[in-house]
Amino acid sequence: MKELIRITTSLTLSCLIAGVVMGSVFILTDKAKRHNKQINISQTMLGLLGYDKDNPSPADLELYTVYRYIIEDGAVKTLGYMIPVETGAKGGFELVIIDLAGQFVNRFNLNITPENAAEPPERKAALNAVLKPPKRFTYADSTIIAKRGDKRMAYLLPGAFPGFKTFIHVMLALDPDFTIIGLDITEHEEDPGLGGEIQEDYFKNQFKGKSFERTRELLVIKEPLPKEYKQYLESGKGKELLKGVIDAVRAKYEYKDIYALTGATISSKAVTNGVKEMTSKFAYRLNIMDSVIERQHIPVAF
Amino acid sequence: MKTTTVKNVLVCVLALLGLLLLSGCGQEHPFVQKTAFKDTSSIVIKFAGPVDEGRAKDISNYTVYEKPDPDIKLKISQVELSPDKRTLTLTFERELNQKQPHMISIKEINSEGRSLGSAFVSVKKLYLGYLFSVLIGAMLINNFVFSKYLGLCVFFGTSQKKSTAVGMGITFTIVMVFSAMMAWFLYQFVLKPYRLDFLQIVVFIGLVSLSVQAVDTILRKLNPVLFKAFGVYLVLVIANCIIIAVPLTLAANEYNAMESLMLALGAGVGFLIALFLMASVRERLELANVPPTYRGLPIAFVVAGLFALAFLGFSGMSIF
Amino acid sequence: MPATTKTTSQLLFNGILSENPIFRLALSMCPAVGITTTVMNGLLLGVAVLFVQVFSGCTIAAIKNHIHPRIRIPTYTLTIATWVTVIDLILAAYLPDAYKQMGIFVKLIVAFAIITMRLETFACKNTVKSSFWDGLGMGLGFLLGMMTLGFVRELLGMGTLFGYDVLGVRPLLFFVLPAAGFFCVGFMMAIFNYVELAYNRSKTAKQS
Repeated sequence: MKELIRITTSLTLSCLIAGVVMGSVFILTDKAKRHNKQINISQTMLGLLGYDKDNPSPADLELYTVYRYIIEDGAVKTLGYMIPVETGAKGGFELVIIDLAGQFVNRFNLNITPENAAEPPERKAALNAVLKPPKRFTYADSTIIAKRGDKRMAYLLPGAFPGFKTFIHVMLALDPDFTIIGLDITEHEEDPGLGGEIQEDYFKNQFKGKSFERTRELLVIKEPLPKEYKQYLESGKGKELLKGVIDAVRAKYEYKDIYALTGATISSKAVTNGVKEMTSKFAYRLNIMDSVIERQHIPVAF
Repeated sequence: MKTTTVKNVLVCVLALLGLLLLSGCGQEHPFVQKTAFKDTSSIVIKFAGPVDEGRAKDISNYTVYEKPDPDIKLKISQVELSPDKRTLTLTFERELNQKQPHMISIKEINSEGRSLGSAFVSVKKLYLGYLFSVLIGAMLINNFVFSKYLGLCVFFGTSQKKSTAVGMGITFTIVMVFSAMMAWFLYQFVLKPYRLDFLQIVVFIGLVSLSVQAVDTILRKLNPVLFKAFGVYLVLVIANCIIIAVPLTLAANEYNAMESLMLALGAGVGFLIALFLMASVRERLELANVPPTYRGLPIAFVVAGLFALAFLGFSGMSIF
Repeated sequence: MPATTKTTSQLLFNGILSENPIFRLALSMCPAVGITTTVMNGLLLGVAVLFVQVFSGCTIAAIKNHIHPRIRIPTYTLTIATWVTVIDLILAAYLPDAYKQMGIFVKLIVAFAIITMRLETFACKNTVKSSFWDGLGMGLGFLLGMMTLGFVRELLGMGTLFGYDVLGVRPLLFFVLPAAGFFCVGFMMAIFNYVELAYNRSKTAKQS
């Protein structure tokens, strides 16, 4: 009996010590983790806009995030856009509810600061204050709008779609005419050497410069990638080409479809179709949102 | 004796699948019997009785969208009604993304002059099919040994003889299912709600040890014969990293109870298959003239590599 | 068994050469096959294992007199799991990109037979100092094994090292394909065996 008590106490004690060690490490690292994640995301975004270490982003570049929610009230579904607005010195958010046909329904002021808006629990709390049960809401996606001076410079769309193995997470950059500025693969689990090549410049840069109309019709072709085109696509990596050559190659391949990766046609198709879907859905929604913003005179920040 | 165990397990699985099949057929409107995808760009709706042609063939009568995007209506190019007026085919302008469930709302259904009101139905691939694909996925397509490279120590240790391989495989599957279900429950209802997910490694390894101990005790009491056959493998189960990898995968992918069960079962059976295949080859290798430097583990690794290449052929396959 | 009489350097080289965890003891091979597609991956996972090995060895050596013999194994498991959680959290926070590449394998260090084995056969009988050197040797052996595999696979498969272009071409794409990990480990083991056989043969030839 005495033995049993001794075993139990020592086991409990070691569990407690282990728990304290893990807990304190968790508390110490959690903040750094979130901070690094944020830095990582903003680096990806700035990279897509063409800014890096050698070419830092200008001071007047500002990024605003619009969060989209699906709101259910019984069987009726509406869309709720959390839009950054210019109120007060720091700015805030407004929830604009739009029905499925694209008509304005309602708008609310949200009690949330731009810093807190990046945290899902904070957003949930702010939305809970205006959307009372039985209304339910689920997060759908977010869009980042880059603004320079008083003009919109680009839209950044994070998204995910099923690839060959699991989901492929991407960040797509579009200019105000919905022409693709760039594509970045943020997360994937495709096979290295095969589908994993989607993250290489010579694949993802093929999407650059495709106009909205062209993107809608984009196909994947199973042809070997021409050498000059590959050089052009990788030219950002230090292998500089002559200016004249770049323009000639760009003009030649601008209207081409996407060349599939060797041995990874399914991954190539998944990315192409995913980008097509994202672009068309976004363009449709943005037009509706913009027209509502204009008619309701919402003082948006972007 | 071993065959009866296998049989029992099979009966259980079949009964479970049957139950799911029955529950998977429910529809939201009594007059709509069945909805399904056809080809790449059409949806078929079967009604319980004949519908009136005029109303049914009106394109504006239908709105279809993908479940996560209720605001984006899919454009219907054509509506066809079969001669017996019970089967309706909606054809769309673009290809449908069949991985997403689609929602169809029908403004009005008229049957023999009577209005039956509006209907709101969903089209999705059978959930059963999805579960089956999780099972097959864990078993073959993403076989934990040959495609994810886990559990290799035990794999090379117990694949010398077919009998050992089968014993290990069955023991492993039982413990796997048992501990994965417990891990799922604990993760969903304790770790996640209280934001303790950083404790998952400790908790999962504790659970595995616990379930190994539990199976050991239960088997020893209930069936000493069975214990004699499988008891020795129980100790090895805990050294197998698949048993930790499955709960971690469940936690990372937010699977529900049914999917978790299928993944655990698939992982176990997949391990059994891998062990059996390997054991068959290694029994033959005993008789072959292997160069002395390659004897033992090196040649086993090369064989496993060949198997892995063969299993690469499964990868990316989608069923249902 | 009495405490070890080996010197520090003997303890260190024991793990690196004569009892190399990957090629000689054939333990913890899952990551050796799974993620050695680049040198960097091999290095990082090696460092993680080194960390866990050294810290859990020292912990067990320090508290060895207080462990009740009946709860020996649960204590080992708890110690390892704690240190794995610590390194997992640290890597996730400070090296998110590399952590993503290694995926589930960092968490799976908890199931590595090599660590439990060293605790059972060495740390629970020796002082903190010699356990430290033993853990360091074992960890370095694992790290070097992982890096060798990563070196071969990255160089032959992608023509790069640490992500920098070295060869300019990709000689054998096959080597980065996941399945090639098995072949690489198999060939490496065969080479180790060959060296051992040749060494033994020359020794017997000298003696006779």
